[in-house]
Amino acid sequence: MTTLTPSGHAASTDNYLTFTRGIKSWMFTLDHKRIGVMYLISVLASFFVGGLFALIVRTKLLTPGEVTWIDADQYNQAFTLHGAIMVFLVIIPSIPGALGNFVLPIMLGAKDVAFPRLNLFSYYLWITGALLSVYALLAGGFDTGWTFYTPYSTSTETAGVIPVVMGVFVLGFSSIFTGLNFVVTIHKLRPPGMTWFRMPLLLWALYATALIQVLATPVLGITLLLLIIERAFGIGIFDPGMGGDPVLFQHFFWFYSHPAVYIMILPGMGIISEIIAVHSHRQIFGYRFIAFSSIAIAVFSFLVWGHHMFTSGQSPLMNVVFSFITFSVAIPSAIKVFNWLATLYKGAIALNTAMLYGLAFMFLFTIGGLTGLPLGTLNTDIHLHDTYFVVAHFHYVMMGSALIAMIGGIHHWWPKMFGVMFSEFWGRIGCTLVFVGFNVAFFTQFMLGSQGMPRRYYQYQPEFQTYHIVSTMGAYCMALGFFLTGAYLLHSLFFGKKAPANPWGGRSLEWQCTSPPPHDNFSTTPSVGNPYDFSDLRWNEAEQGYEVDPNAAPAKDTH
Amino acid sequence: MIHLLLQATSESQGQAALSTSVPVSPADFWLPEGASTVSPQVDFAFQFVMWISYFFFVLVIGLMVYFAIKYRQRGREVYARGPSHHTMLELGWTILPTILCVFMFWFGFRGFIDLVTPPQNAYQIDVTAQKWFWNFRYPTGATSADSHLYVPAGRPVKLVMRSEDVLHAVFIPAFRVKKDIVPGRYGTLWFQTDHVTEGWNESDPEKQKFHHLFCAEYCGKDHSKMYAKVFVLPQADFDLWLEKQGRWMDELKGDELWQVAGPKLYGRCASCHTLNGGASTGPTWQGLWTRVSGGAGSDGKLDNGKETYASLIGAGKAFENPETYVRNSILNPGQHIVVPFGNVMPTFKGQLNDKAIDAIIGMMKNLDQFDAKGKFIGSGVTAAAK
Repeated sequence: MTTLTPSGHAASTDNYLTFTRGIKSWMFTLDHKRIGVMYLISVLASFFVGGLFALIVRTKLLTPGEVTWIDADQYNQAFTLHGAIMVFLVIIPSIPGALGNFVLPIMLGAKDVAFPRLNLFSYYLWITGALLSVYALLAGGFDTGWTFYTPYSTSTETAGVIPVVMGVFVLGFSSIFTGLNFVVTIHKLRPPGMTWFRMPLLLWALYATALIQVLATPVLGITLLLLIIERAFGIGIFDPGMGGDPVLFQHFFWFYSHPAVYIMILPGMGIISEIIAVHSHRQIFGYRFIAFSSIAIAVFSFLVWGHHMFTSGQSPLMNVVFSFITFSVAIPSAIKVFNWLATLYKGAIALNTAMLYGLAFMFLFTIGGLTGLPLGTLNTDIHLHDTYFVVAHFHYVMMGSALIAMIGGIHHWWPKMFGVMFSEFWGRIGCTLVFVGFNVAFFTQFMLGSQGMPRRYYQYQPEFQTYHIVSTMGAYCMALGFFLTGAYLLHSLFFGKKAPANPWGGRSLEWQCTSPPPHDNFSTTPSVGNPYDFSDLRWNEAEQGYEVDPNAAPAKDTH
Repeated sequence: MIHLLLQATSESQGQAALSTSVPVSPADFWLPEGASTVSPQVDFAFQFVMWISYFFFVLVIGLMVYFAIKYRQRGREVYARGPSHHTMLELGWTILPTILCVFMFWFGFRGFIDLVTPPQNAYQIDVTAQKWFWNFRYPTGATSADSHLYVPAGRPVKLVMRSEDVLHAVFIPAFRVKKDIVPGRYGTLWFQTDHVTEGWNESDPEKQKFHHLFCAEYCGKDHSKMYAKVFVLPQADFDLWLEKQGRWMDELKGDELWQVAGPKLYGRCASCHTLNGGASTGPTWQGLWTRVSGGAGSDGKLDNGKETYASLIGAGKAFENPETYVRNSILNPGQHIVVPFGNVMPTFKGQLNDKAIDAIIGMMKNLDQFDAKGKFIGSGVTAAAK
């Protein structure tokens, strides 16, 4: 098998980071890797801001009554900003925009995405959406909750509602274009030999995600436009006072936002499939089941939106139908977990930072998935709806799973992206702090919710205070873990050891090019094999990395 | 088909409700005290799902940890030979969860049908939700004077609910019921509880037992203050209580009106108006009477600075006297807005009669005889006691 080892590469000193220089070479770049890095920086900056708002909310909740440093209005704005930033600016674009952009073409064996200019345009749409959100904040903020439920959102006096809704509208197009780009890239730019079933599972996941992005996001766009029209021009669409219907808004909103949950989690599942297989050095178990379960999730995700509305007054028959279909979406998720578990069996598991995040994901996603069951069960959901149980559940899925996968992915591809190794010692400590802090922060919220504490409360009954204090301590611990992670990753950029081409022993194509990859990814068309056959690798002590053993038996497709 | 199911369960529920008494279940690790006839059913479904969850959690995480330790890399092994697929195993872990999910769905479905089907003989209470308080109106036309929900024990109660402004939701955790209140529609919610909450007529709130009633749908600034207590009374006591609600103010004589009725009525104002000068959604009542009657603060601005209290109130002005101004502010709150507050107060037209407004004005005039929470602490007037 011919590979692009660092020594064999014609211009091994020239990589995508050093290919051209100057600020303009970044701002107008069409290189998917640079666009990915710009997404990464932007998304992490937004994550920092969204996290600060989370800490403000958690700090307020240390005390049940009023506090002097933040009043009810400011608190409502803080949780709204936390939710809106984390959903629209962080989680939705995070994995496809940052890691997907970087690794998708390389994993596929392509030189770039299908439409590099559209890709850059997506990024600037993201920037525009983010700027509109900042403007909304400066123009008077908004206190609608990230869900923008009418008629509150069309009647609240905060002036930032229209700008932020415009911002989310624009962000939606950024997401649509990224999805479109990925669908076309995967269909049209696969090199010879890269059959659908030789694609790494991350690509299946990104493909399923892209389908949802393209099909569901336009509904969000329409809904938000209608919201703006009603608020700005007083045309009754959702306001019963003008002949509209507030429940219609909820249908529209969740028709997008439930699939959006899978826009957030599916790429995470893809990353975990990579991390678990590569760091176990083991053929992934049940490749086809995992691949098809991604597609199944994408299809089912369109059919379950009504489970957000069991108490809304929609017809009881509809509730029953949606409850039934909701359980069907649990099955493909369970299949994935069992397959990851079976992949660990008889593996050669490296317990490094990326893998620890992979195992943390399995732990947190199992809890997040299982606690979805009482929310899909009709009569228990009536009790749990709009309580902290729901808050805890979706934090386990969106943060504990999607974001943890993102951070695991950052560690997994960090050597590839920047050509440096980070400190495994501090990495493990950071991961432990985040994992422990997360569970302390959010497991308590399950108890809070099932005991009856409603969400979005500035003040609460004193009996809930102990849980809230514990939860806040967990949040602080998590924040410490994230600061530590940021610190050692930044440190590695300047002082980290040079990364080999293949530090973990991965077999998908990105590990065949240098770290960081050259501008064109591959100088010769790479040869494609089973991405999870690790049998022909050997450890090179001098390189501190893995390389292909020329004497090994030829790899064969086994799945 | 669904309608047949709905009817069938509704009849059996109605009959069962009259004959058997469902005990209160104590709070446990997950769930709060369960005090309604549906709570055992909900709790059973919850526990059923949780035990399945415990099993799978222990299985998955147990194996994960075991594998991670047993198969951890000791050197730099590059290739591990485990199986890449096993069709029967994969089909098994697809089919088994599917079967379990069908059971979960079924329990939830059965319980839900009972939750949404009020028995025919249910006692109806009309609920109006407004930013940010509750109004409970009974079949006699009387409303709950202190804005708490009083219900009779041992019979089904149906809340017929509407909203004056945005989405709200009634949530009573102990009864395991919740329902959104959508403006422009009536929502219904029913429950039956067979257990009296003790101490409902104690004057000391510490001795009262009650259930929480929360607003569960975000409705703006004081969403978290949109709260009521639920008192469950024996039928006879409930009848007496209800009779008093219609005419309780009639029995109050002279100063008793503001001393007793004032604090009760203030319960509806408290979410926006403080008594001690603290900031809130609306102007504090502290010093209010001085402001509106030409004393300190009467130069306070209204209507974006176009008016002051002094320019509006007084002989020959828009309001003949302060009483008329306050009355107008309660019934027609959007007409004059105090700077810097927003136009958020709902009208109390049809909810507070003249006598109630007299009581509120009386309380404003004598605010120094109340503590910061509205409790009457005045100078030794025994009539204040119930």
